[in-house]
Amino acid sequence: MRGQRSNLLACGVVAALVLPAAACAGQTTSDDDGKVKITVAGLFPTTQEKNRQAFLNEVKAFEKANPTVDITPTESKWEAKTFAARLAGGQLETVFLVPLTEPQGLIKRRQIAEITEEMKRLPHVADFDQRALAPATGQDGKVYGLPTSMFALGLIYNRDLFTKAGLDPDSPPKTWEEVRTAAKAISDRTGLPGFAQPTTNNTGGWTLSAITYTYGGRIEKEQDGSFVPAFTEGPTQRALEWLAAMRWQDKSMGTQHLRNAGDLQQDFAAGKIGMMVATPSTYGDHVTKFNGDPKLFGVAALPSAGTLATLTGGSMAVVNPKASAAQREAAVKWIDHYYLRPRYDTTVAAQRAQADASDKVPVGMPRVPFYSAAVSGPIQEVERKNANVPLDNFKPYEQGVAAQQFMTEPPVAAQDLYAALDTALQAVLTRAGADIAAELRKAEEKVQPALERAQQ
Amino acid sequence: MAAGLFLLPTLLVFGVFAWWPIARSVQLSLQFTNLVDPAVWVGLDNYANLFADPLLWTTVRNTVWFVVLALLFGYPLPLVMAVVISEVRRLGGLFRVLVYLPVVIPPVVAVLMWKWFYDTEFGLFNQVLTAVGLGPMPWLQSTATAMPSLVLEATWAHAGSTVLIYLAALSSVQTELYEAAEIDGASIWRRLWHVTLPQLRAVLLIMLLLQIIGTFQVFTEPFVLTDGGPEDSTLTILLLIYRYAFINGDFGMATALSVLLAAALALLSAVYLRLTRTWSTT
Repeated sequence: MRGQRSNLLACGVVAALVLPAAACAGQTTSDDDGKVKITVAGLFPTTQEKNRQAFLNEVKAFEKANPTVDITPTESKWEAKTFAARLAGGQLETVFLVPLTEPQGLIKRRQIAEITEEMKRLPHVADFDQRALAPATGQDGKVYGLPTSMFALGLIYNRDLFTKAGLDPDSPPKTWEEVRTAAKAISDRTGLPGFAQPTTNNTGGWTLSAITYTYGGRIEKEQDGSFVPAFTEGPTQRALEWLAAMRWQDKSMGTQHLRNAGDLQQDFAAGKIGMMVATPSTYGDHVTKFNGDPKLFGVAALPSAGTLATLTGGSMAVVNPKASAAQREAAVKWIDHYYLRPRYDTTVAAQRAQADASDKVPVGMPRVPFYSAAVSGPIQEVERKNANVPLDNFKPYEQGVAAQQFMTEPPVAAQDLYAALDTALQAVLTRAGADIAAELRKAEEKVQPALERAQQ
Repeated sequence: MAAGLFLLPTLLVFGVFAWWPIARSVQLSLQFTNLVDPAVWVGLDNYANLFADPLLWTTVRNTVWFVVLALLFGYPLPLVMAVVISEVRRLGGLFRVLVYLPVVIPPVVAVLMWKWFYDTEFGLFNQVLTAVGLGPMPWLQSTATAMPSLVLEATWAHAGSTVLIYLAALSSVQTELYEAAEIDGASIWRRLWHVTLPQLRAVLLIMLLLQIIGTFQVFTEPFVLTDGGPEDSTLTILLLIYRYAFINGDFGMATALSVLLAAALALLSAVYLRLTRTWSTT
């Protein structure tokens, strides 16, 4: 016991050390050569050689087309634990990528730059699908980030277990009641959990909010000019009752419930889970990280309880708040060059798809388009031609998702809401007979101070 | 003058890496900062927000519960193991290695290994318990057993270092005292009670203080094994500090809670040292 020490203290010391440097640690704008210097995250690791080289080639091409800009690429990825210290210490890239759950909090704390005017000068700006811009659009209507990848949550299911349970893998559940029936069949026939729900690291609350939307509810609403929790109003309770019925009546969810979405992905790839809520992009980790069988990976649109809705996941490119006007301009141009062009230029889309395919990166997964159908349609055709994923397995998803409304993250204190819902989920899934309404009221009491703080 | 010069490097290192960050933490706890704009002084607002958060008292209760359990199980166990190993005539070196082995394993690796042990469906413990008709146990899945499960892992992971310290202290006990006790017909328990424990008193007291301070700062186990669940039953003070700082980006509240924890531990240490001043020397 004596050796108990926390990394947190070290983090605190590091943060304290770098904070004073923050005031003078802005972005280096230009050197003696007068060029605008920017750093960009997203360089692929050496394990993805084709993509890495393609990225570096794009940097060169961009610099050639924009001779006043000098780019330094880095391999760094979003890490909540190091973000603050890197921002304060002036180490954060000019352009960096964040998960879709983050922009609203970063906007609120003014930790990313507003890029509305720079964005308006991009090609095809009038064709943007507003659903793709929504996650990084502030409550002031201004744009703070641009999409780099976007997927809508769906139902991921094990086609092999469906077959073993006597279910048709080409006709997955469309409603939560059908999910319950299928989960019971899988559990009864195979002894494995038919359905799994994450409950930790805020991933439980995140997926529960998506399920709530399909019950016609919200987890946060605006009332008298401020945002308040809305998950006690009924739909979330019905979603939890549905989960409780599977857990305790049907016994179709197993007994291991203190897990996050990543844990579930791992177990799913190992063939130990029948169904779960996740984005189709988990196919990438399924085959490359967890060595899962591509054939067993099935995806359907998020089932419904009366409302056709889903929540989006993915990443956005955002700009360092300390960037100068010239750097912001160059940064947005780079985001367009590298991340947006393949979504409106068929030649670039084909080149990117071929590089991905040769690096064995999945190509052809259904993604949320960034632009209107007229622009996105030809791109999707190009990607299909170069697809290396089992396209038939994604058909049920594509058929269902087209009709769904895409919801966005709650604008205020989303992570606090998700954390509170995590706790309610844990109560429902680990304690038989938990009073669901009472658990939601407890969650509301817990999250209320956080919402008030966030709106001070 | 010469003494001052010799002290200077140490003072500089402590100043830069310990005292200045501590002072900055106190300053930050009185400010609002987004790490971009200049920090704004907010007085005691961060502390007020902290006391308005219902999770604060949950984490205090949980942390104290962890400390109590860790003292009940983790404090006497290393002493017992050290005494037993010191009494072993053969293979003492092997036992020392076996006891210390968990300390060599990187903490996160060890905790992840225990995560698998505790898995209710495929974990080692439940497979063994079920095989002998005693399982399965909920381990981390129940509010009643989650914290004791964390204490069990923490005791396993950290006891080795304490055992080595006790063994070193035991080797300094004069053998004449044991010989005299044996001549007087003292049993092994009487020798332990009347010779070993009094001779180790100073080490035992300082180890108790270090363990209290260390266990109040428990973080890795709940962070990796439970994320504070189920139902916040393993949400500790440091995990809440982590959430404030790195999930919510609120460094003001995070440092406010850090300062309060440090102050509470400093006060506890002062009271403890004052109370035990006479015990450790007489």
